[in-house]
Amino acid sequence: MRLLLSNLILLLFSISVFAQSSTNITGIVTDQSEMPLIGVTVFVKGTTSGTVTDIDGSYSIEALSNATLVYSFIGMKTQEIPVNNQTLINVSLLESTTGLDEVVVIGYGKMSVKDLTSSITTVKSEDLVKTPSGNVMQSLQGKVAGLQVISSGAPGESPTIRLRGIGSYPGHGNEGPLYVVDGVFYDNIDFLNTADIESTSVLKDASAAAIYGVRAANGVVLIETKSGKRNQKAQINYNGYYGYQVAQNVLKMANAEQYTNMALESGSAADEQFILNAMQRYGRSRINPNVPNVNTDWYDEIMRTAAIQNHSLSVSGGNENTTYSIGTSFFTQEGVLNMKNEYERFNLRSKIDFQANEWFTIGGNIILSNSTKYEPESAAWNVAYFAVPIMPAYDELNTAASPTRYASAEDLGYRGGKNPFPTMDLSENRIRTKKVLANFYAKLDLIPKKLNFKTTYSQDFTSQEGRFVDLAYFVSTNFKRTDDSVQKNSQTTTNQTWDNILTYTDSFGGHNFTLMAGSSYRDETWNYLSATGLNFPSGLEENWYISKSKSKPSDSVNDDGRKQYGMSYFGRMSYNFNNKYLLYGTMRADGSSKYQEKWGYFPTVGAGWVISEENFMKDVEFIDFLKFRASWGKLGNNKIAASDGANSTNVVTTAIDGVLVSGTTTSSTYSSLKWEVTEETNFGVTTTLLANRLSVDADYYIRDTKNAVIDVTNPLIGGTVRKNVGEIRNSGFELALNWSDNITKDLKYSIGANVSTLKNEVRDLFGQPYIDGGQAEFRQRSIVGEPLLAFFGREVVGVYQNEAEVAADPVAVENGLAPGDLKYKDQNKDGKIDDDDRVVLGSYFPNFMYGANLGITYKNWEFTMNILGQTGNKILNRKRGELIWTNDGNLDADLAKNRWHGEGTSNKYPSSAGLRKGWNQKMSDYFVEDGSYFRIQNIQVAYNLKQKVVFGVKVPDARISFTADRPLTVFSYNGFNPEVENGIDTQTYPIPAVYTLGLNVNF
Amino acid sequence: MKLFKYSIQITLAAAAILFATACDDKLDEPAENIAITDSTDYSIAENMISPLIGLYAEFNNKGWEANPLISVRGDDVNAGGLGDQQDFAETDLYNYNKDFWMYNSAWEGEYRDVITSHSTMEQIQLYADKTGNQSLGDQYIAEAKTIRSWILFNISRTWGNILVPTSSDPTELLAADITSKNDVMQHISNQMDEAIPFLPDMNPNQRTDIRGGVTKYTALAIKALANLELKNYQAVADATSQIISSNKFSLEADFYELFKIPGKLNNENLLEMQYSDFGQASGDSKSYLFEFFGPQSWTPKVEGAGSGWGFWEPSLKYIKFMLDRGETVRLETSVLFTDRGISEIQKDPNYATLPAWVSNTTRSGDVINDYARALFASGKHYLPSDQLTPGRTTYGTNKNFTCIRYAEILLMHAEAITQGASSSSISADAAVNLVRERAGLTAISGVTNEQVMDEKFAELAMEWGTRFFDMVRLEKYNELSYEGRTFNADLIYLPYPQNQVDLLPVLKGSN
Repeated sequence: MRLLLSNLILLLFSISVFAQSSTNITGIVTDQSEMPLIGVTVFVKGTTSGTVTDIDGSYSIEALSNATLVYSFIGMKTQEIPVNNQTLINVSLLESTTGLDEVVVIGYGKMSVKDLTSSITTVKSEDLVKTPSGNVMQSLQGKVAGLQVISSGAPGESPTIRLRGIGSYPGHGNEGPLYVVDGVFYDNIDFLNTADIESTSVLKDASAAAIYGVRAANGVVLIETKSGKRNQKAQINYNGYYGYQVAQNVLKMANAEQYTNMALESGSAADEQFILNAMQRYGRSRINPNVPNVNTDWYDEIMRTAAIQNHSLSVSGGNENTTYSIGTSFFTQEGVLNMKNEYERFNLRSKIDFQANEWFTIGGNIILSNSTKYEPESAAWNVAYFAVPIMPAYDELNTAASPTRYASAEDLGYRGGKNPFPTMDLSENRIRTKKVLANFYAKLDLIPKKLNFKTTYSQDFTSQEGRFVDLAYFVSTNFKRTDDSVQKNSQTTTNQTWDNILTYTDSFGGHNFTLMAGSSYRDETWNYLSATGLNFPSGLEENWYISKSKSKPSDSVNDDGRKQYGMSYFGRMSYNFNNKYLLYGTMRADGSSKYQEKWGYFPTVGAGWVISEENFMKDVEFIDFLKFRASWGKLGNNKIAASDGANSTNVVTTAIDGVLVSGTTTSSTYSSLKWEVTEETNFGVTTTLLANRLSVDADYYIRDTKNAVIDVTNPLIGGTVRKNVGEIRNSGFELALNWSDNITKDLKYSIGANVSTLKNEVRDLFGQPYIDGGQAEFRQRSIVGEPLLAFFGREVVGVYQNEAEVAADPVAVENGLAPGDLKYKDQNKDGKIDDDDRVVLGSYFPNFMYGANLGITYKNWEFTMNILGQTGNKILNRKRGELIWTNDGNLDADLAKNRWHGEGTSNKYPSSAGLRKGWNQKMSDYFVEDGSYFRIQNIQVAYNLKQKVVFGVKVPDARISFTADRPLTVFSYNGFNPEVENGIDTQTYPIPAVYTLGLNVNF
Repeated sequence: MKLFKYSIQITLAAAAILFATACDDKLDEPAENIAITDSTDYSIAENMISPLIGLYAEFNNKGWEANPLISVRGDDVNAGGLGDQQDFAETDLYNYNKDFWMYNSAWEGEYRDVITSHSTMEQIQLYADKTGNQSLGDQYIAEAKTIRSWILFNISRTWGNILVPTSSDPTELLAADITSKNDVMQHISNQMDEAIPFLPDMNPNQRTDIRGGVTKYTALAIKALANLELKNYQAVADATSQIISSNKFSLEADFYELFKIPGKLNNENLLEMQYSDFGQASGDSKSYLFEFFGPQSWTPKVEGAGSGWGFWEPSLKYIKFMLDRGETVRLETSVLFTDRGISEIQKDPNYATLPAWVSNTTRSGDVINDYARALFASGKHYLPSDQLTPGRTTYGTNKNFTCIRYAEILLMHAEAITQGASSSSISADAAVNLVRERAGLTAISGVTNEQVMDEKFAELAMEWGTRFFDMVRLEKYNELSYEGRTFNADLIYLPYPQNQVDLLPVLKGSN
């Protein structure tokens, strides 16, 4: 009945409008530099009639002579111009520096930035494409306050993303945000081509993300792919780049001389013998005859300069009732590891929206992605670290070796081969991924402009074929691979989602509101099958099949599967009064088959006060806009793996009298989990000042993870079980500033900066004083009041310098120490050094992150630069720590040079002999280093060719750019790379600098 | 008209919404590929053996570090592997480091087998209840008890006072008290008394269901071992007498081959960890990591056979002891010589001339080359390259790992008698002479305890730390103070791993 009534009112209103006479108004809309703007929406204020500008920026619209026309365009300030009997109105739109006029994507809808009560940061296409990377998230590094992006150097690998700290116990792939691509949920968006993305919105606080309920605890990243515009002539765009990656900050290792000195000082007769063996085999250096005549820089040997390129071609446009965008892209990236290590991706996409009649719109979006990834032998980084410099990579004397005469450290007496090349050369790890993302919707306008119903079905289908080939080699008796092996696995993942949304928008008086209610069904299935074949005719790739193999070990056959269902109901209310007082609330009920507890409920509320709309603020001229906002919300984390809920029985095999038999074992520890829930409170200010030149966004948040699921080590037997036994708090302050101004018509500049702080704290462990994590030898401990998984051990105060100092210290005497051993701090002052002297040595979470950008445009030239950095985090230099397990490998040059080797030589590092002693191998801050870094993230210089005529021919608009990505990183950590995901550095892939030449052409 | 038009839309929308809500019941679908134990059908009689085989699988699947850590401290063997695993070598020198990874790893590995024994017993009882076959259930449970006791025996010998689990739930230990070493040994003895009536009365190699599995005599052997630790010599003599009187065990005539492929499931063995490559050149293989014990450099008779890591070096003291005794086959079987090692022995003028058979070429034709890490390698863990299944190259593949053998039973028997116990079977002389005879030595009479201990040293060196625990029990610390080491009563037990003390504060200061 009400429906009918409101329709009637609408009908009457429109009739009254058409009762008056109207005229045809035309004009051209341009930007400040008088370039025509295509696709600007022009409509008559207070009505639904409107149009968009065409390719020349011109428009034509019927309006009453006393009407007002509204011109709006993304990225530009909306302008209102009274008709006043004019028939020609040319408009020059000003760039919106504040973004306040923009509409941002929120979950299941869109909202004006002005009306937001929550913290959302949007990064636009033009900023995204500056970063040459296969993964769009890499482009966000340093651009969003509170977002930590930890790069991955390996081709095709995704960076690690952490939003506002870490709310979930790490190590199970449960820390990453939820990605929503055109409404479809993803955990990983490595298949997307950056140039196809229109915008990326990071929903930072609970209030913004809560509509995604159970998936949203780690934040949500909304991605919209590019679509066409109504009444737009077809636009053909090419965007591409080609360039090279060069490894940066390569760690300097001890050279042959330094290594020899270390070995001779080690006090180990065996190690001294190995040096002699090397001199016998390879001769003595002419410079220093006590050093073998080999000096291999292993990192240099295994690395190369690697190419990267991307080419995207797209066509987009639209007519009165259809828009379309169709494109293709091709991306390839080689790895800097010198083996078959590369990534290649070919994408096709199509997005079409069609308005069938005035109440029915239908659309579809398909992305096809085919990629091939050759994964690196990551262990090569680790092997190269420990490989001894007194051995060459190839050794002509090693005639027994096949297929190549690789050198083996075993021939010098070492236990292992210590040469990364055999596995690099004779392994191939190929993963082929085919992905189809299909998304179809139908939208019914039940009451035009007010009530609509949208039903969306999405399917994400991924098929992954892995082929891992290891070919046999022989280098020395224990440095060999006996069997050629081919392991194949096949996985398919199918995720379906069906959303039904009802949205009602209305306004009366000063009241504006939108109500939304919806339901969502989803199911996720995954299937896995793998098997291995041994000993096939190895030479030809055609033979790399299990069916061509001589043996097929039965233990290598594996399959697995998973199926999960989810059902959700949700609703949203957003309301404002006179654009001054804002109120926002959502509620989501989520059901999941994953946990023993099926349903979780996730509410949120937010409020805002646009104080600049108040009359008493009208006189404050330097403030253009000022809004205070606050929100509270609750989120769930369903990335926590399903809990078994009960003991499970597993099949195991063994040999009984030479026969392979199988039996069962039953677990005696299991997890039974409740929902991990995050509660967040956010306070923020959004303001623009000084004639819209300065915009400021500041937020303070407290994010508590309740019932945090933590790995608890089983007593006696080791292993861990996940239990809801903690409360983790992340809190921090975020500030983003942007200033932009025009100095002259030709010279514009902008400066932006963002900073964020983070405090991570374990608030409660349900009665326990601490929970241990990490490896027993490199203890990490979560203690109430301290950061999660803090490094925990002894504190080094120096190195014993001489016998007198040793003799004078009862601790040193009792423990049989010698000069060159570490001196630890007696924390509890009991005169002994033991486990009670262990303290927190730091955390791997940075407590301060910053980013800044500078942009200068002069005529057709553009210059942009981004910097970023972080401080306060620690890195466990586990490479140095590996000495605990095998102590005859190489070490980094810093340690070799600065080792203690006599009184006064070092007060930081032990002696070479000391490195081998258990006393010096205890977890201490000798292994834990500062992980702060500063980086010039991106520099781009571009030249725009606009409306150029060369030899009488109109050249298409083009942009030529040179980009240096990550050209400089400064840090003190003794490793390759300060970006270590979990703070434990064993074998990180180096993060290369990338230099590219780019071209963007609009036909 | 408009009304009609909207009704279509509203109907469509309503239908979609209603249809979607019908999916709620999907939330109760079970997970895939997880067999929940509670849903096991315990009435299927033929599955009753599955948990037991699972336990044997776990028992056989042993980390390489446990046996070396338990056994390294005697004067029979040195750590070897110079310049590698420093704190393992330090442990051999009685300088213990509770933070060293091997301590925690060995502890956890051993306790995992204890916990698996409990879960096996619990599962078998469920089968027994449902199938009604309690007698078979009792046998299987007794087997699990025996394996559990063997593991607990080794944990307690190494760490002294320990925690004794009573169920498969390890978290119950968070509130448990420490059990003293003597109580652990008594507990083991009692457990074996409970198990013995239900176990098969045969040599393990006579079993047809699980060949090489636990029998009554395995339990008796473990009972004897536990009572030996308690110095309860009469109980030792009684248990060993039962084994001897059964006549189901005999010493393998070929001592050299006993530790190689022909010795698998030999009549002499009461308990062994079983491995196999199933006779195939590649593919499935269940194997112990024997490389740890092997020589680091060799020229194998069969080209391509892999060598070892160079740990587990027989001590000069042991070799000289054996040479003094005029031992041949036992020394040859226990020690792999390198040229460097031979000249090291000869540096002592008393040993300047060695028997002709002492050579770096083994009886099987493998040549042991010099390597910097050690002078000698372990012969009992050695598998000749010509015994590898063609195609296999990993050192020791297909070889079993013996835990208890009849020679040790005979010598424990003799030890108990020389400590004053009375025998219900053979005499101490008879027991010792059986062992000596096989070793090619002459018979002796009126055997003393000291002679028995020498015989144990000669016979059981490099195996399960028997020598170390014997010397500790007899407080002959001077024997353990050799080649630069000094031993005292404070050094008997390894410190608990730091990781475990952090998890179980009750351990702090308990040994």
